Amino acid sequence: MIHYIYDGSFEGLLTAIYEAYYRKEKPEKIIAKADLQESFLVTYIHIATEEEKADKVYSAIREKISSRALKNVFYLFLSEDMEAATYIYNYIKLGFSIGGKIDQYHTHDIVQHVHKISHKVGKEAHRLLGLVRFQKLQGDIYYAFIEPDHNVTALLAPHFSKRMASENWIIHDGRRNIAALYNKTCWIIKEGDLQGELLLDEEELAYQEMWQSYFKSIAIKNRKNPKLQRSYMPKRYWRHLIELKNKT
Amino acid sequence: MEVLQKLEILADAAKYDVSCSSSGSNRKNTKGGIGNAHRSGICHSWSEDGRCISLLKILFTNECIYNCAYCVNRSSNDVPRASFTPEEVAELTINFYKRNYIEGLFLSAAVVKSPDYTMELLLRTAKLLRHHHQFNGYIHMKAIPGADPKLIYQAGQLVDRMSVNIELPSSNGLKLLAPQKKKESIIKPMGFIANQIIQKVEERKLYKNAGKFVPGGQSTQLIVGATADHDLSILRLTEGLYNQFGLKRVYYSAYVPVSQDERLPTLAAPPLLREHRLYQADWLLRFYGFTSKELLQEHQPNFDTTLDPKCDWALRNMQLFPVEINKAPYEMLLRIPGIGVKSAKRIAAARRFHSLSYDNLKKMGVVLKRAKHFITCGGKYYGEVGFKENLIRQALVLQEPKGKTSGIEEGQQLSMFTH
Repeated sequence: MIHYIYDGSFEGLLTAIYEAYYRKEKPEKIIAKADLQESFLVTYIHIATEEEKADKVYSAIREKISSRALKNVFYLFLSEDMEAATYIYNYIKLGFSIGGKIDQYHTHDIVQHVHKISHKVGKEAHRLLGLVRFQKLQGDIYYAFIEPDHNVTALLAPHFSKRMASENWIIHDGRRNIAALYNKTCWIIKEGDLQGELLLDEEELAYQEMWQSYFKSIAIKNRKNPKLQRSYMPKRYWRHLIELKNKT
Repeated sequence: MEVLQKLEILADAAKYDVSCSSSGSNRKNTKGGIGNAHRSGICHSWSEDGRCISLLKILFTNECIYNCAYCVNRSSNDVPRASFTPEEVAELTINFYKRNYIEGLFLSAAVVKSPDYTMELLLRTAKLLRHHHQFNGYIHMKAIPGADPKLIYQAGQLVDRMSVNIELPSSNGLKLLAPQKKKESIIKPMGFIANQIIQKVEERKLYKNAGKFVPGGQSTQLIVGATADHDLSILRLTEGLYNQFGLKRVYYSAYVPVSQDERLPTLAAPPLLREHRLYQADWLLRFYGFTSKELLQEHQPNFDTTLDPKCDWALRNMQLFPVEINKAPYEMLLRIPGIGVKSAKRIAAARRFHSLSYDNLKKMGVVLKRAKHFITCGGKYYGEVGFKENLIRQALVLQEPKGKTSGIEEGQQLSMFTH
């Protein structure tokens, strides 16, 4: 049995898929280095990331399958699911054989699974477009702290770079220790701890209080339905919401 | 009065407005500006009643000259009163928006002094936001019935969505509970807005820079359960609004007793189940190709409380079923109880590759709890109880979630309109 090991980056994954196509030893699984649990029965092949090869796979997916398939592949990668890379490999193999129609193949196990995971990631990203809460810091910076299930920061940044184009902002994923930083012109993803203490702008707490009181006033008491509330907005998100963090 | 106090009073006064949708517009940000609209809308939170919070929903003022019986802001009600200034609303909107609390503003108002005076205040707020603050987020504004069309026109050029509330589903209801409001004064601005939207679409075909007029479309709201109107007349009204005025949405709001008045029914609780059935039927009109005639008739003018409208329709039209999943046209797939737009599309796409079995459907995520009674897969029927109307009805009623059916009694009208 053969497993390919890649470095954990998207380019690394695409390189592994490239190699799986051209090497004689075909992998049973593709695994990120960090997820590796060595087994005596498996032969491991470490794949070195090569941007050129990754680019080739990237454009081949878009041209020979579809841009929707490319999106699914990227979302699956962001899911950080241990099996994602292997599913991506099998999905792309299937895609190269049946082409752009792959996503209509709803009865196929691989397609079904890819859709399920891709949908989950897309759903969390969309949810967070609403649930991200910025706090205004001294020095005119809007700062948000998130701990998403999947690695969606790169999906949030383009949205806020359009919407908050004339502001400085930071979206900090505390679970992965990465942050999207925007400086009124472009955004980058930076890894590692953020330095410095958070000093709130002097108006910040007043607006937080107004938002909390708005949140309370807008609910209709005769229609109280906390179960419905939680189904739309699971409790794990609450601790970073200004309006609900006292309730967790 | 502090802005915080005003916000408490005027959010509380606005909470019975149902719509919080921020969809339908794709307004872009401008250079140096703030905000944009997201085509499918974004929810930012959910309040304790489970309703989504997308927009900052407030009244500009709750000081009303009218005394409509069903309304919490009626002039004879003893509630704290407050009014914002346009500057305060704009400041609040911008600051909430930058913290990503909201998708934009939903600005409504009680009628203070006169409809024109009120509409002018709303218009000034919108101007301040769009021009001074360069705000490009979503704005939903109420058109005040009776206001000068010129004011409504100006507002329509600035906002994403406008709505005029129908309030009560019949002129008799209006006469009884809101004698100062006339059907004509509500319908007129709706027609005006509808025409302007159509005209602007035409203009934009000719000139790229023709500007916008209510790009997110028009909506309305009506109260269910405050008058004797039955579901059929409400649904007919809805159908007319969609077909004739091209409305984006009609919202229904179960009547919540907010003031004491002998003209009002005494309800133990808001008729939530009835509201739910109307929304189900509303969806059937908009996305499933149904007409009001198919769903309800004169001799049976109210929805079955134990079954959803689609199941009920199917059981009254058993001659059309069971439907073969591999052959039925898409329009018929949509009419199978339990099958939604997404499932119907998936079935239509997947069956091009190979014929679908019952297990295939299950794996594709099609919900078969109700559908199994109405379909065949490759000629085979999977309903366990047998293909008989009464047997299927019984099986379906037993399946309905407990929470919903047990709500019926509290939701029923207790006095006044029971014959």
